[in-house]
Amino acid sequence: MARLRPPDIFNTLPEHFSWTAGGHMYAQTSLLRDNLQDAHREAWRKIGQPGAFLSAAERVDVVRTAREALTCLYCAERKAALSPNAVEGEHTTDSQLAPEVIDMIHRLRTDPGRLTHAWFTRVTQVISQPTYVEIVSLVTTSVIIDTLHNALGFGLPALPLPATGQPTGEQNPQVVDDGAWVPILDVHKAMADTGLPVVPNIARALGLVPSALDLFFGTFRPHYALKEIPLSISQSQAEFVAARVSAMNECFY
Amino acid sequence: MLLRASSEQEGLNYDLNAVTSLSRDPGVPHGEMLRRLAEAAIQGDWLGLAELRPHAEQVMGAQQVVDALTVAAAFNGITRVADATGIPLDDNTAQTTQDMRADTGITQFSYQAKSARYD
Repeated sequence: MARLRPPDIFNTLPEHFSWTAGGHMYAQTSLLRDNLQDAHREAWRKIGQPGAFLSAAERVDVVRTAREALTCLYCAERKAALSPNAVEGEHTTDSQLAPEVIDMIHRLRTDPGRLTHAWFTRVTQVISQPTYVEIVSLVTTSVIIDTLHNALGFGLPALPLPATGQPTGEQNPQVVDDGAWVPILDVHKAMADTGLPVVPNIARALGLVPSALDLFFGTFRPHYALKEIPLSISQSQAEFVAARVSAMNECFY
Repeated sequence: MLLRASSEQEGLNYDLNAVTSLSRDPGVPHGEMLRRLAEAAIQGDWLGLAELRPHAEQVMGAQQVVDALTVAAAFNGITRVADATGIPLDDNTAQTTQDMRADTGITQFSYQAKSARYD
């Protein structure tokens, strides 16, 4: 198996994603750059295809379930509690996914800052770690796309129509235990002039499942760069927005 | 850490505590407007954001507003990747940002601290 290439969130390596336009996700004229619009369309197309461990229908259901979490009364009550373990209840859902998976998706969507290793261990006693990674990629990719749509007043794009076919079963054997909850991409730890490694840990996090890594960072990449950011705001302005969002989501990394 | 690096590269002195303290001026150009845009987007305050956007466009420019929200959307996703995978800080970051993390209150977001609070 070819070595999995790490995602280039520095925007310093040649393009390696195919930005194939598909569908009409951004029908309105907007100030969004073409490569970002194409990346979102490509992500939506991929979500509608069979994944590594989930069928296309299950993948689309994951995104739909992530959306419904925002109106789930139990999630709202849990978010307001001092501890997420302090309240019990049932999710508001039409999902066909397993209850444990529904709970995982709702928590990741509505209360990510209070996930713990003990919670992760409970979830991965029910689903495999590669399946967990695939779901994380689907939810987080949809969070990016949905947040931007809502923020710009576009309304949410319609869910992709699921394709037929079987999951590929592909996972990456070249992963290591490097202190994360899941095995992460094995890379050489060279340093960049940003003060971070050339491949920071966050870019290795979904490395257990190559298609999950590709889906998320294919979506994320046109949004941000660690230096010489290709946007109209300065690097420091982008870093301030990023840091404020990280603090609001109670993210340590 | 990257905000600090930007501050050094641009020869300016940004207040890193503004990331977690709402009463502080970050010192970044249009910092207060960037904060309001980011917070509305992450809190899902779409009606508030619809009212804020035209004002922000007058202050900052329309393309700048879109780009600020583009970054906010990206970090609304990537923070969840970090939180869901328990990804550790990169070695250099862990070594060089101890004081900054303590000063800004970010230490309370560590996986160990969350486990102690919530499990």
